[in-house]
Amino acid sequence: MVYGILTMINFAHSEIYMMGAFAAFYLARFAGLDTPSPLNFTLGILAGALLAAIIGFFVEMLAYRPLRSSPKMNVLITAIGVSILFQFGGQIIFGADPKSFPTLIEDRVLFTLADISIRLVDMLIYFVSFVSLGILSFIIFKTQTGRAMRAVSTRPDMTPLMGINNNKIISTTFIIGSALAGVAAVLVSIKYPKIDPMMGVKIGTSSFVAAVFGGIGSLHGAVIGGFLLGLGEYYLIGYGASTYKDALSFLILIGVLLYKPTGLFGTTRKEKI
Amino acid sequence: MSQIKKYIIFLILVSGLGLLLNYFLNSYIQAIFISFIINAIMALSLNFITGLADQFSLGHAGLMAIGAYTAAVLNKEFLDNNWALIPVGVLAGGMVAAFAGYLISLPSFRLKGDYLAIVTLGMAEIVRVVLLNWNHVGGPRGYNAIMKFPEFMYSYAFAVLLLFITFMTMYRLKFSWFGRNLWAINEDDIAAEVMGLNVAKTKRRAFVISSFFAGLGGGFYAHHLGYISPGSFGFIISVQILIVAVLGGLGSLSGSIVAALILTFLPEILRSVQMGSVDLRMIIYPILLILMMILRPQGLFGRTELNLKSLKERFSK
Repeated sequence: MVYGILTMINFAHSEIYMMGAFAAFYLARFAGLDTPSPLNFTLGILAGALLAAIIGFFVEMLAYRPLRSSPKMNVLITAIGVSILFQFGGQIIFGADPKSFPTLIEDRVLFTLADISIRLVDMLIYFVSFVSLGILSFIIFKTQTGRAMRAVSTRPDMTPLMGINNNKIISTTFIIGSALAGVAAVLVSIKYPKIDPMMGVKIGTSSFVAAVFGGIGSLHGAVIGGFLLGLGEYYLIGYGASTYKDALSFLILIGVLLYKPTGLFGTTRKEKI
Repeated sequence: MSQIKKYIIFLILVSGLGLLLNYFLNSYIQAIFISFIINAIMALSLNFITGLADQFSLGHAGLMAIGAYTAAVLNKEFLDNNWALIPVGVLAGGMVAAFAGYLISLPSFRLKGDYLAIVTLGMAEIVRVVLLNWNHVGGPRGYNAIMKFPEFMYSYAFAVLLLFITFMTMYRLKFSWFGRNLWAINEDDIAAEVMGLNVAKTKRRAFVISSFFAGLGGGFYAHHLGYISPGSFGFIISVQILIVAVLGGLGSLSGSIVAALILTFLPEILRSVQMGSVDLRMIIYPILLILMMILRPQGLFGRTELNLKSLKERFSK
């Protein structure tokens, strides 16, 4: 999403995700909200999203805004820098050892369908993902801000002439993208309750691959891409090649970039001279 | 005549430094010095493709791994641990890495910019995962008991020779027609193509050369440490190489060497302020990187090379 609008790879996105998980973790720990209840679940997700959004805003302001007019490569290098700073800064602040995430909602089997038990947490994850997707689609395709975002994405040099504040729009994009990362982080942490400062590394590449696979800039494509990639990884584990799991996402990525660079649902952009 | 004089002075300086390191400084500083040279070779190799041709590669750790494993396995299993044959192994490491670089470049160089960065990163990751699963070379346990040079002096001589060859090759290439082609691609690849330059082929060649030297660096790394594992060639290593190249200035070869010198010795000096289990340089590096990009994106030297004449002029003013 951030990539589609800004045409830059945000390496630090996965670290914002990590910070979201830790925000929810500390809220739950210190505010005494670590007992399973729907309220705490909602609060946890909101806390993750809020803190991730704040961090996203500051990262954008401090690290990326000064580089708005410099070559793409410099921005990419900075993004890598921010990412590493968060990873190792996180290790100093939170400690490098994994922490166990509190159970915010009780997991139970909702119903069983032909030997497959549908669990509450899984359903909630699906539910929250679809709600987020809905909200995001609404923002991008139905609101004034969303239209401005799409405009900035196509012609950043023209938008200021139309009275759009580029910096503001890019900030907003970052905030929304980061908030989503925060939501995702809390959901994943509830499902797999172990968080540590390096947790973003794996998910970062996967989510990038999912975005490219589905087509950059296409929201639904990203969801489907993520779904297929996740499925692919689990099949690989199922067939006993689990140690090659990390290579799979890159193989897919390389294949997609070479044979269908627009992804499954992407649109092409012509290069102008 | 003056050219020969220059080389003689250089040789004397280098041997003097070697003797100093050998007889007056302890093995700790000697080891750091060798790793400085390895860093410099790697940074030069990356700078060649990223700095001169503006093709962003994040996969140099993978090439380094290929070079390291080739050299180590060759020496241990085919040359029966003969330390005098280490150069052969290192050279073979460079060759294999160059070949791997050629294979990687075939598909990757259809892409550019950050896509290229991600694909090269992916390639390096694939190399790492394959090594991790390859039981014959130790898998995740790593490959150990690799032959080392018995004396520091041999190690030093070989290291300096490698660095010298790397630097001179790249320096000469930079100011040759080939280097100018790379500059053209750097400035504007579409215009270069229009001028009749085979951009794809030139990029591939540059990448193969770069891979060769990355392989050399990797091979020497294996023989310097005596132990390698897939973990020592992760993404973070690619980033470290990148930081050195960026700090020195993308496109400046001597800048890479100076930056390698700074960035190898600085963390060692800072070792006393290490916080807990976390390496403090992993905090300093990224901050340095971000500040660099904001305040001085061209690096210490920009594209220019260090030379004595211009230094003299600057200081006499």
